Amino acid sequence: MTHVVTESCIRCRYTDCVDVCPVDCFRAGPNFLAIDPDECIDCAVCVAECPANAIFAEEDVPSDQIKFIKLNEDLARNWPSITKTVAPLADADEWKDVKDKLQYLER
Amino acid sequence: MKNKQTTLATGVIEADAVIIGAGPVGLFQVFELGLLEIKAHVIDSLPVVGGQCVELYPDKPIYDIPAVPVCTGQELTDNLLKQIEPFDPTFHLGQEVTLVERREDGRFDLETSTGTRFITKTIFIAAGVGSFQPRTLKVDGIEAFEGKQLFYRVKDPSQFEGKNLVICGGGDSALDWALNLVGKAESVILLHRREDFRAAPASVAKMKELCDNYEMQLLIGQVTGIESKDDVLTEIKVTGADGVTRRLPLDTLLVFFGLSPKLGPIAEWGLEIERKQLKVMDTEKFETNVPGIFAVGDINTYPGKKKLILSGFHEAALAAFGAAPYIFPEKKIHMQYTTTSPKLHKILGVETPTFD
Repeated sequence: MTHVVTESCIRCRYTDCVDVCPVDCFRAGPNFLAIDPDECIDCAVCVAECPANAIFAEEDVPSDQIKFIKLNEDLARNWPSITKTVAPLADADEWKDVKDKLQYLER
Repeated sequence: MKNKQTTLATGVIEADAVIIGAGPVGLFQVFELGLLEIKAHVIDSLPVVGGQCVELYPDKPIYDIPAVPVCTGQELTDNLLKQIEPFDPTFHLGQEVTLVERREDGRFDLETSTGTRFITKTIFIAAGVGSFQPRTLKVDGIEAFEGKQLFYRVKDPSQFEGKNLVICGGGDSALDWALNLVGKAESVILLHRREDFRAAPASVAKMKELCDNYEMQLLIGQVTGIESKDDVLTEIKVTGADGVTRRLPLDTLLVFFGLSPKLGPIAEWGLEIERKQLKVMDTEKFETNVPGIFAVGDINTYPGKKKLILSGFHEAALAAFGAAPYIFPEKKIHMQYTTTSPKLHKILGVETPTFD
């Protein structure tokens, strides 16, 4: 049971989602956030917070984003916890509506 | 309570109501059933009451409990325990419900992981996000050693005497067991992925003192691989913050990564499940597709569901009224107010106030 951060987050990383999480399940990478599937309790409050609409319940992940389910799990294992909002990445607004950003993911 | 709870000669408890989950909604379910003179048994997988309020965010303040401007999850739990005191519920903690089966007489057989057995007329599932299970170590092949050389909980500390132990984790469980087993085990290494610890500062200080005295060791890093020989785990590979992987021989690995919720066996009881939530048939009774089994709080779903504690309280009230006909088929159930009803005052064990 989990929610999943998808491609839209890459190079934006607004972090609005992390403040509302009751169980501190977000993990921060250089230009992407991941949800630790072992911690997420599916409360769904983060979904509405994301300016890039990047977060989905596992069952609702769009078909072209399915790989992000495994990616969240793998990345969350090694990234540090983030529990307070920080400033978005510098060009977040320019990248918000860009598609096919997986190539830019930094680990 | 007027209705009796009997324990059969076979050790099976005959009950009117069994509540699964001792979170805030499960506790308030005791209260609502109590006002209808229904005594409840409460089962929880954790050794303490409070559910996710206590397990996941005990110190985070809650602001949306009606008439309580602010309280922590722990305070909410303590207040609910006080509130349900008159109804004398029986708690069965540290056990998970493993079996629920409809009997021919219409009641349910219910069993827990520790062997407690019930025959009950009704069941209230207030299981929130599921039962809390130890978070596991994710290393390929490690699961084969669980229960033999890999442990996520300690039942019998004496089995670790004389062993070379590696204890993983940075919380209270990891530190407490490390401190406890130093001197009894042959050697103790505490392995944590970073320098800061969630455990109580006093335990961390004690651990560091033991390390300074060469009575135990602290390593910073993560388990990234294992080696085994003849089905025996011989060493783990530990990758440190410097990126270097080192080999560490050991007898036994204890892992304390905290708990995470899992829906567990609830999925196997023939209940209708929608997106991992129990679907209730209507919002009049919050009954599931199995008559006699009710679902309240975060675990249920229905159109417009909001996962709020206060919604769970409301659901518990209506579920109690919905369940009453199964327990007292002959009795007409009337709603009464705790302010004015002498009958409820008697149930609550309070004086009926007199006004001039």
